[in-house]
Amino acid sequence: MKFGKRLQQQIEETLPGWRDKFLSYKRLKKLVNLISSSPPPSHRHCVEAEADFVYLLNHEIDKFNAFFMEKEEDFIIKRKELQQRLQRVIDTWGPNGARPSETNCKEDMAEIRKDIVNFHGEMVLLVNYSNINYTGLAKILKKYDKRTGGLLRLLFIQKVLKQPFFTTEVVSKLIKECESTIAQVFPVDEKEIGRREPTIRVTGEGVFRNTVAALLTMQEIRSGSSTRSQFSLPPLDLTDSEFIRTLQMNSPPIPIPIL
Amino acid sequence: MEARPLSIQRSSARQLNNLGVSGPMSSSLPVLPTPLEDTFSKLPNSQQVYMEQELRTRPLAPAPHIPANSGVVGHIFSSSSGLSSDLQYSSASPHEKLPRTTSFISQSSTPIPQTSHSGLPQSSTSSHYTKESSSSWCPESLPGYVDFAANTPVQNSQMEGSSCSGAIVSEEFSKRNDWHEWADQLITDDDPLGSSWNEILADTSMTEMEPKMSYQVPKTPTSMPAHRTQVHQQLPASSTEIRTVVTPSASANNAPAKPRMRWTPELHEAFVEAVNQLGGSERATPKGVLKLMKVEGLTIYHVKSHLQKYRTARYRPDSSEGSSEKRLTPLEEISSLDLKTGIEITEALRLQMEVQKRLHEQLEIQRNLQLRIEEQGKYLQMMFEKQKSGIDMLKGSSSNQENSSTSLAKSELEGTQVDHDKKGSDTANANSTNEESSQPKELDGKQKAPETEAPENAELNVSELSSQPSKRPRTEE
Repeated sequence: MKFGKRLQQQIEETLPGWRDKFLSYKRLKKLVNLISSSPPPSHRHCVEAEADFVYLLNHEIDKFNAFFMEKEEDFIIKRKELQQRLQRVIDTWGPNGARPSETNCKEDMAEIRKDIVNFHGEMVLLVNYSNINYTGLAKILKKYDKRTGGLLRLLFIQKVLKQPFFTTEVVSKLIKECESTIAQVFPVDEKEIGRREPTIRVTGEGVFRNTVAALLTMQEIRSGSSTRSQFSLPPLDLTDSEFIRTLQMNSPPIPIPIL
Repeated sequence: MEARPLSIQRSSARQLNNLGVSGPMSSSLPVLPTPLEDTFSKLPNSQQVYMEQELRTRPLAPAPHIPANSGVVGHIFSSSSGLSSDLQYSSASPHEKLPRTTSFISQSSTPIPQTSHSGLPQSSTSSHYTKESSSSWCPESLPGYVDFAANTPVQNSQMEGSSCSGAIVSEEFSKRNDWHEWADQLITDDDPLGSSWNEILADTSMTEMEPKMSYQVPKTPTSMPAHRTQVHQQLPASSTEIRTVVTPSASANNAPAKPRMRWTPELHEAFVEAVNQLGGSERATPKGVLKLMKVEGLTIYHVKSHLQKYRTARYRPDSSEGSSEKRLTPLEEISSLDLKTGIEITEALRLQMEVQKRLHEQLEIQRNLQLRIEEQGKYLQMMFEKQKSGIDMLKGSSSNQENSSTSLAKSELEGTQVDHDKKGSDTANANSTNEESSQPKELDGKQKAPETEAPENAELNVSELSSQPSKRPRTEE
């Protein structure tokens, strides 16, 4: 399947508020087609289209940046907030707390755990957002270069690499922090792992569903392509995650291909 | 005056470029984007700037032969019509560069008062070309200009080096007196974008390097406008400083620039500290927080909006993530078993966590790969350019030789990157990157697509530069 379609899929599967924040791949592609279809570079339509193309690219980047930075800010605030909540619960209901109460503690902790996991998921989705948009940009630029014989790609990508939306270090750090918090505060009980359903249907529009969708899409995008080149990424290797095979997306059900 | 109708439409201006028409005129279309505000009304700011920059980067051939008419340096609009007549041309006077894109050219015939300064980032890029000396711009260079545009990225890339275009520009400008003003202008990156846009718009003349103005250098607008529009003011990343990212709002023709603040965890810590000192999020005021934080560059608007978010997060934890998102719990996402038991929930969460971790892992890997690919591409491009400039030095040699060398170099560039592919990569190609032009036979079938492109590109590139020894500045590391 082509990238455009995959992107579309991803957009559909994504969290509702994010739908219009993705790359307008189709539009860009149309422009590239337009550009390359009017052969003489000095042709009026070609020039117009090129101007539009670049303009759109810049506009998209602005869009990504704005959205990304806003989300990042939200995450930073939320992470602090969760930390504080956790601390409060432990201090209040915890064994050494002011009013130790196991039930309350457990309840609140479960709540917090759920929130943290969802928070983690959302951050990962943001990184995925960043990545998929970058991929789209790279692809469209490659297409442009190919069709027009230009060298736009290399330079433009250098610029993109510096953009806020691509420099996801902070979010990644938060994600890792989250993971270690979870591991620490909610240690996994080994015996729980054995109980697993043969298939787990993922429904709704929650964060979980989106991450699964994202993972699948990523895998598909990276599986063989007809235009593989020096800029292509190797196929995604998920063979060791058997559990993923058991996941099944609901409506429409998309069984996970086994690598 | 020219009988040519002034009704310049988006396209007609194009003809300017194809100036076989008005002989001497061809090159010298000073285009003054001054009254852009009017004409560009339909274009968002950034595009205007982009256009501007386009304009600027088209150095016009020296136009001593262009009759100087009115005191108006060709404005984009009139230029197309009056190509000839309207163009104010005196070798001494700065004149606009020819617009590469004419879309913004509308029917305005308002003469643009000639101003001699322009704070254009472009100028730096065009400077590369202005250095070259060339007799006059021949229309036949036009066809190549698209590729030339492609070449410009190479030059432009050096501009990327600093987050402040001004810095780079000034380097370039130091070479030319006329451009000092521009450099100064450029450094006003700090200005709200609105004003800088106006500045650019108001600028009517790109000081032409006079007779040295060689061929038309259509510039790739991408890096420039993009660079311009995405000025990062990266203050040293310490917890006490802010990184303000200046991004123009694409839609803002009139809106002042809203420098977008990029919050970091450290900064937020300081914020929370300040808020707590002031008695909590409800009682704290933006002004107070701002004062307490003592962070340079932080404005009250930043604090205000951040405080608002903070408040929302504290008192309605789940709504702070955006009301449009339905955050269903994993409970509803599990199979039909009884969902209420704690173990189920835990299991679901654990599973969710696992998927998320995986995704993140893969994303990181992917990102690193992408970075590496680009790094290598950049490196190879640089090698390519170096080689090319070496070739260009031999400027009298037959174009054949040049072509084959450059195409070889280009293919090597592509060839080396094939390594990234999982197909058995051609290490021979990779290794040959360092060699001087010599082994066309290295190119093999695996690089079909890039290969066929490369010679074509190289050829056009070479022909573009054939007339001058272009010392291509090193691409940014």
